Amino acid sequence: MSSTCDVLVDCRDAARTFGRGANAVVAVHGSSCRVRAGKRISIIGPSGSGKSTLLHLMAGLERPTTGTVTWPAGEGDDADPTPRIGVVFQGPSLIPALDVGENTGLPLVLAGLPEEVARGRALAALELLGIADLAARLPEELSGGQSQRIAVARVLAQRPRLVLADEPTGQLDRATGGQVIDVLLAAAAEIGAALVVTTHDPTVARRLDTRWRMHDGRLEMEA
Amino acid sequence: MIATWVGGLLRWRTGRLAACVIGVALAVALAASLGSFLTASKSTMTERATRSVAVDWQVQVQPGADPGAVLALVRTTAGVRGALPVTFARSTGFRATVGGSTQSTGAGVVLGLPDGYQATFPGAIRPLTGAGSGVLIAQQTAANLHVAPGDEVTLALPGALPAPVRVAGVVDLPQADSLFQQVGAPKQAQPSAPPDNVVLLPAALFDTLTAPTRATDPAAVTTQIHVARNAHLPADPASAFTAVVGAAHNLEARTSGGAVVGDNLGAALDGARSDALYAQVLFLFLGLPGAILAALLTASVAGAGADRRRREQALLRTRGLRARQVVALAGAEAAVVGVAGGLLGLGVAALVGQLAFGQASFGAGVGSATTWSLVAFGGGLLIAGSAVLVPALRDLRTATVAQAGRAASSAHAPWWSRIGLDFILLAISLLVFRASGANRYSLVLAPEGVAAISVSYWALLGPVLLWLGGALLLQRLAVLFLGHGRAVLTRLVRPLAGNLASTASATMARRRRPLARSMVLLALAVSFAASTSTFNATYRQQAEVDARLTNGADVTVTQPPGARAGPDAGRALTTAGVRRVEPLQHRFAYVGSDLQDLYGVRPATIGAATSLQDAYFSGGSSKALMATLASRPDSLLVSNETVQDFRLNLGDTVNLRLRDERTRDLRTVPFHYAGIVKEFPTAPKDSFFVANADYITKVTGSDAVGAFLIDTGGTRQHAVADELRRRLGTTATVTDLTQTRSAVGSSLTSVDLAGLTRIELGFALALAAGSAGIVLALGLAERRRTFAITLVLGGTARQVRGLVLGEAAVVTLGGLAGGAALGWALSEMLVKVLTGVFDPPPAGLAVPWAYLAATTLTAVAAITAAAINGARHAHRPPIEELRDG
Ligand SMILES: Nc1ncnc2c1ncn2[C@@H]1O[C@H](COP(=O)(O)OP(=O)(O)OP(=O)(O)O)[C@@H](O)[C@H]1O
Ligand SMILES: [Mg+2]
Repeated sequence: MSSTCDVLVDCRDAARTFGRGANAVVAVHGSSCRVRAGKRISIIGPSGSGKSTLLHLMAGLERPTTGTVTWPAGEGDDADPTPRIGVVFQGPSLIPALDVGENTGLPLVLAGLPEEVARGRALAALELLGIADLAARLPEELSGGQSQRIAVARVLAQRPRLVLADEPTGQLDRATGGQVIDVLLAAAAEIGAALVVTTHDPTVARRLDTRWRMHDGRLEMEA
Repeated sequence: MIATWVGGLLRWRTGRLAACVIGVALAVALAASLGSFLTASKSTMTERATRSVAVDWQVQVQPGADPGAVLALVRTTAGVRGALPVTFARSTGFRATVGGSTQSTGAGVVLGLPDGYQATFPGAIRPLTGAGSGVLIAQQTAANLHVAPGDEVTLALPGALPAPVRVAGVVDLPQADSLFQQVGAPKQAQPSAPPDNVVLLPAALFDTLTAPTRATDPAAVTTQIHVARNAHLPADPASAFTAVVGAAHNLEARTSGGAVVGDNLGAALDGARSDALYAQVLFLFLGLPGAILAALLTASVAGAGADRRRREQALLRTRGLRARQVVALAGAEAAVVGVAGGLLGLGVAALVGQLAFGQASFGAGVGSATTWSLVAFGGGLLIAGSAVLVPALRDLRTATVAQAGRAASSAHAPWWSRIGLDFILLAISLLVFRASGANRYSLVLAPEGVAAISVSYWALLGPVLLWLGGALLLQRLAVLFLGHGRAVLTRLVRPLAGNLASTASATMARRRRPLARSMVLLALAVSFAASTSTFNATYRQQAEVDARLTNGADVTVTQPPGARAGPDAGRALTTAGVRRVEPLQHRFAYVGSDLQDLYGVRPATIGAATSLQDAYFSGGSSKALMATLASRPDSLLVSNETVQDFRLNLGDTVNLRLRDERTRDLRTVPFHYAGIVKEFPTAPKDSFFVANADYITKVTGSDAVGAFLIDTGGTRQHAVADELRRRLGTTATVTDLTQTRSAVGSSLTSVDLAGLTRIELGFALALAAGSAGIVLALGLAERRRTFAITLVLGGTARQVRGLVLGEAAVVTLGGLAGGAALGWALSEMLVKVLTGVFDPPPAGLAVPWAYLAATTLTAVAAITAAAINGARHAHRPPIEELRDG
């Protein structure tokens, strides 16, 4: 067993319930899991099984109703204040009024990096994914696959230690989806980050080393 | 299905729906309030015009007709409350010997008045001193002859022996112009001034004295039947005018040429109906922009939800809903907005009426109040329809969801910008303004010989196009600035947005069109508030000037004719609240055979006690001309007509004949023509002179003062006047500004503009706050997604607030600056175009700084509140916002 510093995120009996009383929906039942540095994990499950909710819990975007989620490796520090976790969201998540370059650099600017630095890292990330020519476009001028790639580039520019991608191929045809997964894997390799991808597509799931299953809010791990 | 849809709207789109309803309500309330106010004002005008006339009709019995028969006919005419015969005879002159010196006058008029004349026509004769009945002598005649009650005057009547009568009282004939009119003669043929010399006799005495005259020349004595009417008149001055003129013609026809009606009531209503038209124009000018603004506001609110609606609509279509059904749903939404907004608006209007006038109907009749309510309500439905339903219909053509998503942003400039519509509109506005300037801004046209009068709505085009063109130009400039001024913009928002400043300016640059629209809306509201309040303030200032002009000063103490009080008597008038007492001499002087009023002033001090506007004079400012009077004491300011009549050039000698108190005879005194005076405190509207009081004292041997002008610093006029009245009793007449203000002026100035002002300014404030707040709030609602993304990417709430406040600051600055510029231009143009409602025309604009500051603060507060509210919304778990996608 490697040291706890290797553990990027640690969920212990983390559960998430939406609504109250009769309307309450348990999106995630008490689930325990750990993501270690450098791992490639897929979470597969049917629609509504709680994949997105679990990912949001891991990203700290949502608080568990019961149980805990911790990040033993720590948050960003002064040397590099960008968050250690980057998320590729399931839906469109680009700011319509900013061009691709600005969108890609936005998390860095928000973290307080100087604009030129942010811009440089954003362009480098776009370059790496082979989409630097899109830098000046507006989100409305992009296809679904392109948008998803920009979202990946945005995460790449952040240089996180953990990349959480929520159905990055959900809206795409198989070929394009495959390319996005290629890009994700390449990006994670480039920055040496762990990768968690949710999907309902077994072919996507097979591209990753570890497969977890989500069913009715319950997380099952395969051997 | 419609019920479900509307229910859903009410539940999920509450904010947008409520904002639309408020927009419609504002427009409806404004239109209903102003409409009811207008109707109420019009009927006030009719009432005032009716009340202002002492003798409604003067029915001139034609030569050869039997006065008795005409009188009988008049008395049986419907709507006649009282009819009395008045007889007129010309006198070759009056003479009086008082204290050993004899004075005589030129030709005069002798009237015979039947018993009860003053009771039937209360306003016709105003007793000044002595008895109110018996032989009465007009004030100026008494002054000319130096007679007082008890003295004897000899009347010279053609064909009769000189007839001595004893004067019982001195009277003023306030409506001498109409009393001595040439009945039936056109305007140009009317005497330019009423006769200077008038004696009123009891009818019996008149008959006795004029019997020999009548015997030699029956035409030398004429009879008028004076008529007081009590017929019910329509509330609208124009209809009242038509009714009265019709009745007069009818009477003339029934006498079959035996009588001609001098229609004083008709003439007064004629004036009132043009004033009513002016009021209507004012209503349009001051009310319509507000209503339009409220409509624009509604449209922007509805438009802010357009993207969402388009998506919903397209979705409904893909789910198989037919176009007709989609239209029905949009129609239902429009109906909800229109009806709710209309009802709310009428409620607000009733409340405003109650608050401003103590009457929900603003004092208008039930009928007209209902009509206006219906009209306003209909307008509200129209606004709701065009803001909600029309865009939905338009979008039906872009049927697919994909298209719907794209339609929102179009990169290239709109059609008006490409053809330069803003410049075209501004150019036309300027041309129209020039043209109406050449026309001396005559808005209300009353062509000679045509019964109907009309408004030259062309002139209105100037300000309207200025407003529209200005708004478009502002939009163009704002878009240009937001698009190309990114460096400046970034620096501008840096204090608020911090390291996100360039992100903020990039966002603003991309969203420049909606942002510019918000700015323009704010600018329009601010300019509406600015121009309305400036116009109202200027109007009030001029009404004040008018009242001051008529009354002379805050409080004026007028000496009775023949009084000998010198300037020192002014010391007795100092009481609490009096700042300054300024003596003003009032004499009469002949120039040629023309008798005019002569005012003797102390040039160094007169300006401090009353306002002498430059507009009162020509040939120099008031200061300069007073300086001339001081440095050259024999200088004389004369009226324009006198300059024309005598072809005077500056420096010419003008010989006036003045009464020398030492010899009690007229003596010729040389003056030098130094400038033109058009108006002067207490002076009549026609010709008069202004000269140096010291010089007049020197040449006439008398320092008698005609009136004391008392400056109270603009306050406490009423209390000071009361105190002086108590002190002076009947020895002098005390008048104050507040009482004059309600008594003088056209019927337009007498309209309760204060109430109108309150309504207008309240609405302007609400519109400014509304356009500032609502637009930004809705803009923010549409951008919640952006904030959510910012937050999930690691942004802090403070950073989001910075973005919002930065944008708000830019919208506020742009809107206020644009509004100030547009408001200033509009005010200048409005005041010029509406010159006709001002009396006298203003020398400059009166800017109500306090109100403008309040408006600015309100707008800023509304924007800040909207911005902070928007940022607070961002605290909702952003991930949920993102999921809504
Ligand atoms: N904010 C919320 N409020 C209420 N219920 C929610 C909320 N978010 C998720 N849920 C519910 O929780 C359950 C799990 O949702 P989640 O989005 O995690 O599923 P998912 O596996 O990601 O599905 P999909 O494959 O469709 O993306 C669903 O039943 C959903 O309706
Ligand atoms: Mg999901």
